[in-house]
Amino acid sequence: MTDIRLPELGEGVTEGELVKWLVKPGDTVKADQTVAEIMTDKATVEVPTPVAGTIKELLFKPGQIIKVESVIVKLELGAATTATAMTTAHKPAAPVAATNSTATVDVKLPELGEGVTEGELVKWTVNIGDAVKADQTVAEIMTDKATVEVPTPTAGIVKELKFKKGDIIKVESVILTLSGSVSTSTQPQAHANSHATKPTTTTAAPTLMMAHTTASSSASLFPPVADSKVLATPATRRLAREMGVDINGLSGSGLAGRVTREDVLSAKGGSAALTKDTGSGAVSAGTPTMNFPKPAYNSTNAALEERVDLVGIRKKIAQNMQMSKAVIPHFTLMDEVDVTQLVAIRESVKDFAEKNGTKITYLPIVMKALIATIKEFPMFNASIDDANSQIVYKKYFNIGFAADTPNGLVVPVIKNADQKTILEISKEILDLSKRARDGKLKPDEMKGSTITITNIGSVGGMYATPIINHPEVAILGMYKIQDKPIIKDGQLAAIKVMNYTITADHRLIDGAVAANFLKSFFAKIQNPGVLMMGLT
Amino acid sequence: MQNFDVVVIGSGPGGYVAAIRSAQLGFKTAIIEKEALGGVCLNVGCIPSKAMITATHLLHKAQHDFKTMGLNIKGGIDVDMKTLVSWKQSVCDKMSGGVNQLLKGNSVTIIKGTAEFKTTKELTVKSSSGTDTVMAKYFIIATGSRPIEIPGFTFDEKDICSSTGALAFDTIPKRVVTIGGGYIGLEISSYLRKLGTEVTVVEANASLLSGVVDPECAQVVARKAEKAGIQFKFGAKAKGQKKTKDGYEVIVEINGKDEVLKTDKILVTVGRRPNGDQANIKGAGIQTDERGFIKVDAQRRTNISHIFAIGDICGQPMLAHKASHEGVMVAEIISGMNRVYDAKTVPAVVFTDPEIASAGMTEAECKAKGYNDLMISKFPFAANGRAVSMSETDGFVKMIADKKTHVLLGVHIVGPEASNLISEAALAIEMGARLEDVALTIHPHPTLGETMMEAAEATLGHAIHIIQKPLGGAHKTTTVNK
Repeated sequence: MTDIRLPELGEGVTEGELVKWLVKPGDTVKADQTVAEIMTDKATVEVPTPVAGTIKELLFKPGQIIKVESVIVKLELGAATTATAMTTAHKPAAPVAATNSTATVDVKLPELGEGVTEGELVKWTVNIGDAVKADQTVAEIMTDKATVEVPTPTAGIVKELKFKKGDIIKVESVILTLSGSVSTSTQPQAHANSHATKPTTTTAAPTLMMAHTTASSSASLFPPVADSKVLATPATRRLAREMGVDINGLSGSGLAGRVTREDVLSAKGGSAALTKDTGSGAVSAGTPTMNFPKPAYNSTNAALEERVDLVGIRKKIAQNMQMSKAVIPHFTLMDEVDVTQLVAIRESVKDFAEKNGTKITYLPIVMKALIATIKEFPMFNASIDDANSQIVYKKYFNIGFAADTPNGLVVPVIKNADQKTILEISKEILDLSKRARDGKLKPDEMKGSTITITNIGSVGGMYATPIINHPEVAILGMYKIQDKPIIKDGQLAAIKVMNYTITADHRLIDGAVAANFLKSFFAKIQNPGVLMMGLT
Repeated sequence: MQNFDVVVIGSGPGGYVAAIRSAQLGFKTAIIEKEALGGVCLNVGCIPSKAMITATHLLHKAQHDFKTMGLNIKGGIDVDMKTLVSWKQSVCDKMSGGVNQLLKGNSVTIIKGTAEFKTTKELTVKSSSGTDTVMAKYFIIATGSRPIEIPGFTFDEKDICSSTGALAFDTIPKRVVTIGGGYIGLEISSYLRKLGTEVTVVEANASLLSGVVDPECAQVVARKAEKAGIQFKFGAKAKGQKKTKDGYEVIVEINGKDEVLKTDKILVTVGRRPNGDQANIKGAGIQTDERGFIKVDAQRRTNISHIFAIGDICGQPMLAHKASHEGVMVAEIISGMNRVYDAKTVPAVVFTDPEIASAGMTEAECKAKGYNDLMISKFPFAANGRAVSMSETDGFVKMIADKKTHVLLGVHIVGPEASNLISEAALAIEMGARLEDVALTIHPHPTLGETMMEAAEATLGHAIHIIQKPLGGAHKTTTVNK
């Protein structure tokens, strides 16, 4: 019997709500098969079983909150690969090859060296159908440091090679599968120095080992180990660990930067407020911990009301919005712009886009215009580090876009959008939006944006006053395109107009600056030719 | 067939502590030991060597200090080696018996025998009474290390000995050649010398304890050992030995030239190696590194998630107290607590004469960590009342602090009771204490502990009991930028 634990769900995520089980007791599952869906405050995550077997017991009910590392499923090991596999593990005398022939073992790309996450397959040194011994080299992988020979940790017959020469393979990917074990005559040779019971040990053990390796790597440590330079007493370090606070990210309030017990407690209480965002290039504003009042709602008509726990994504949204509004003095500037040419251009590239397997919306073009404009106005691509009284100007352009999902608002991020073509951005938007709706975005894909675009205009409304995605300092709103009559050269003419808003942090951006920003942005939107001049 | 929640393999200071804490946490726990409970530490390591060092230290005092103090002994002191060794053994037995009691009192099942992994879920335990299978949900490997043997010096533990054989000498050898001037070799060599043995230490490096302790501390010990009559051969490589009619000849190579050392016993203390090659650890799929240490993460978990490894077998420093700390931690991790090995320092002690003890970083280690601006100072035991009244004034307390924050980074002590003084330094470093914290803590007088306070003051530039520049010098302020 093996325990399946809830793996780490993402940085800073210590628990999740069980949405539903995808298996029931008695089901046989394969390794990596999804067994449950867990909703965290960031996304809905599919939880796979690291090992194959038969489900014996499900330990939680949908709706329950589960802590990371809790046992969620009890599983009878290896049953999926028939019960005989288990038998061999316990009966040393059983002829291994005969009973084990149906089992398959995945061979993964092992770690290639410190800091090396992937490598290029130079060549396979085995073919499908080959019998391999444990530790035999099966492939040559070239990393940026060296060419490495990859051995198989277990013996067997090569059943499938998962990659082609020249493929880039990530560490821990399954590179080939072995079926069963080789005949008993070759097996002992592989372990010539082992004692009599060894063949069983070596066939059974690696199977277990690989399964558990997956388990342990997915259950890596959180919070990370305190750096030796962190000044905190052993008791405080333990408190931080138990509360799930990464002490390395705290700025200590004590003398000489010592992290105190209070620092840890308030970091936990104020959610991420005091912690450094270690995400991809994002800089934390280091806002002071916010303690918001928590007024109760006293029901006067409870019978006609339904109470639901404020959890998951909704709670996160609530916290973020509250904090942003409390910290940032917002102001919003609104205007409309002639987009006749923009509409025409989009129409003209429709066929081209379809041939390239995507659909061009206005969003990627607006994104490009926005990047071109914030390059002229760098204060729009900045953050305020309140803790250190500094302005952080970012030299990278990660554009978040608000996406409406059944679970609520999420903001997927196009990383380094300045380096991508409109076509590439289109494809990425489609992919991220779809996965956002399905609740399958990775936490990483919702982190590190430097400015955000909200596009609720596609649903309706003339204007809105959006809330800035703290610690960013601005958010661009785009709204519906409408036909509008104008008088041009004394004649009535029909043009297309689109409304935009720019909402900014007044601590950093003044009204006139925002007006100039919008003017420059409109120049590009109104005449996409101007935008093209600036495209790299 | 027996089935447990937690099975600990090895009952040294890592294993038995892990077993007790596992039992305290409510696990059905077993511990497997093939030799004596308590492992190397209690039976052939830390404890017996300390017994011998204590006895010979008293002997040395009687022979050298008594006369000055007016304590005259009529005739000489007669060393009854047989009684000394049996007393030493009684100390070990008492400790090992204590472990037995503690394990039983916590309802830990003690299994005598040699364990081997059969699969990652079960062990085969062989003993004189037969073979048994032991299964568990979790395993803690605490099988430790053993002395390294070098070619040409196969241990017989009578004439060619590891520390184990040397601790069991029941007559005082006339001549001993010690190969390896590390802490184990030095501890044994020092007490043998006090018993009257002619000791020659053969060391491959150019100095004693090189790379292990603060070089200045090592110097103090080297000077005193030389004065006591221990011969040192530095930069020397032991090439082989030959039995002669009146003992052994050890051939050492120094500067390319061979030299022959005549001796009765040979002590080989060139270090210890992890027992990663035992218990079918590799066969079970548990990963080890090229030196035989089991690979573990910061929770001491191996590549197999329900198997942990603690103590010498999982990496340096090979010290009993590190193993015990890991033992408690791993038991708590198994019980679901979020724990990790994040100790800032593992204090180390060497029971030479005088003792050396250290906590935190050496100057070189501080530099390597990026602390470029350091405050370093020493306070000598010669300026401490208690040390003078004990007639043990060799040595000093040296402190290293970060100049920017005054946070204590390292403490290195050579001197009387250094081993007992270092715990304060370890606490200070774990707490992130600043020099002022140590200096402003009232230390009782007259004690050796005052040297800690004075060393902190000295590092701040104004110790009372040594002559330092007047206040207003380099470190006049005690406030620090946050």
